[in-house]
Amino acid sequence: MENSILISIEALKKHFTTSGGRFTALNGIDLSIRKAEFTGVVGPSGSGKTTLLNIIGSLDSPSEGRAIVLGQSINDLSVKQAALLRRSRLGFIFQSYNLLPVYTVFENVEFPLLLLKLNDGQRRKMVMDSLDWLGLTDKVKSKPAQLSGGECQRVAIARAMVKKPEIVLADEPTANLDAANSHHILKTMVRLNNEFQTTFIFATHDEKVISYLKRKISLVDGKVAKDEITGN
Amino acid sequence: MKLLFKLAAKNLIGAGLRTWLNVIVLSFSFLVIIWHKGLLNGWDMQARTDMVNWETGTGQYWQSSYDPYDPFSLTDAHSKIPPVFDTLISKGEIAPILITQGTIYPGGRIQSILIKGISPEQKVLKFPGKLFLRSNEDLPVLIGSKMAGDDGLKEGDLVTIRWRDVHGTFDANEMKVIGIFNTNVPSVDAGQVWVPLDRLQKMMGIEGEATIMVCGKFYSPGKTPEGWKFKSSEELLKTVTDIIKMKSVGGMVLYIILMSLAMLAIFDTQVLSIFRRQKEIGTYIAMGMTRSQVIGLFTIEGSLNSVLAALLAAIYGIPLLAIQAIKGMSFAGTGKAYGIVMADKIFPVYSLGLVVTTIILIMITTTIVSYLPSRRIAKMKPTEALRGKLQ
Repeated sequence: MENSILISIEALKKHFTTSGGRFTALNGIDLSIRKAEFTGVVGPSGSGKTTLLNIIGSLDSPSEGRAIVLGQSINDLSVKQAALLRRSRLGFIFQSYNLLPVYTVFENVEFPLLLLKLNDGQRRKMVMDSLDWLGLTDKVKSKPAQLSGGECQRVAIARAMVKKPEIVLADEPTANLDAANSHHILKTMVRLNNEFQTTFIFATHDEKVISYLKRKISLVDGKVAKDEITGN
Repeated sequence: MKLLFKLAAKNLIGAGLRTWLNVIVLSFSFLVIIWHKGLLNGWDMQARTDMVNWETGTGQYWQSSYDPYDPFSLTDAHSKIPPVFDTLISKGEIAPILITQGTIYPGGRIQSILIKGISPEQKVLKFPGKLFLRSNEDLPVLIGSKMAGDDGLKEGDLVTIRWRDVHGTFDANEMKVIGIFNTNVPSVDAGQVWVPLDRLQKMMGIEGEATIMVCGKFYSPGKTPEGWKFKSSEELLKTVTDIIKMKSVGGMVLYIILMSLAMLAIFDTQVLSIFRRQKEIGTYIAMGMTRSQVIGLFTIEGSLNSVLAALLAAIYGIPLLAIQAIKGMSFAGTGKAYGIVMADKIFPVYSLGLVVTTIILIMITTTIVSYLPSRRIAKMKPTEALRGKLQ
């Protein structure tokens, strides 16, 4: 069972220097996350959810403490190693989708595979599979500007999932969506979680997202206030 | 790298109008630089050819006292033509010229001139000396069209000419203009009167003497005879070379202005891109690109402007430049007005070297200009970039 721990965080602190002085975003976080969890980091704005996700995603580094993700210490990763970790083993879903505007749906989803230097045939198959899971096969040639918010977020999920990462980090993925689209997206992610055993970690304060979580880690002022299994 | 080129090309084309505006400005710079340099090349070639054909030949022997910038040197600047040249002169490989000062009185005015004696049979220069053979005037002269225009002279006019012989005695006669020739080389036209060599030798009382000897195409210089000095073609063409060089330097100002405009547009676009596309930059990094790859992507994007510009310039530029190269560009009267060797029509010459050098130069400059703002990406925090927060 110990082997299935993907993320291990110990005494993690993150400080930022602001014009008003030093701001502590994370203040001694200890937690571990196992394979195939469907976990949410929840809490009010400024509680440190996004900062925690950024550190797990190797986009930021801890000020103190340790963060070990997929066996690699985030503290010790070089810029190149961090990029390689993100490229091959992590997927990201953002609140505002962050699709590349000049690329088609197909090209957006293909992008992570280009970075992995897969050949044309492999890429095509993986992209089409991914679009198939998300029900977007009829939109391959569309550009993001031609899609609805829900469709854009599905493309973003397809892009995050296409390389079958071990962990998907989703920062407020439903914040820009209506209720129907939110539920659609979340059901899709639950399905992918079950089907591929991908670990999903959300940063959210959306009750709709929270209702789908299997584990809820509540942050308050940069500390874990509650860590509970929700039983979904 | 291949991936970066692919992505950059897609981003660039995807940017639409902004890209095309930069590309149009840059393609215009390409074209003007190539056209202007081609024009200078054409002028250089024409000027050198005309100078060689009309004045310098492939080299000259100067009598050791001769100094073209010192008219007083002409009194002594004549010597017997060395016998070693006799055969070459008769074969048309060398043309002796005798030069002295004189004065003419056209329309009651007084004008200092150079009187040049040249053999009517010479084949070294393009000078139409054969016209002397058709004349049986006592003192037939040929003048250039600029000289004729300046002094209001025309064919058949009689004008008083005065000169000093070898002993310093003044003499005068009526000269008859038997022909007016057209040349692009003002230094054989302005203020010069051409007479048959033997006639001038007789007028001066120095038979068998010359001031300079012009070498023809087939002559290869041997040992320089005593009392003479050899001037190579390069030395004789130095004035033309210097003028063209000066014009090229002047042209640089034009190139710098054009390039600055194009580069400013690209720099501006790059700066704007980096500010406007922060989220995109963050997304690239989140998906696993390193910062240096993103810098590379933006730099390639900027520098690809020059590739598109080269293609666009080729589309509309090749026909334009070809028409210009065939039809030439009119500079009628400019050479004569300014006293420089310039044909009435100049045909630009575009060499492969010129085109390739221009393209490489513009590409390097564009890449540098694209790279400079892109370096900012290295200082960006991906977490901030993802939120689109200005940094």
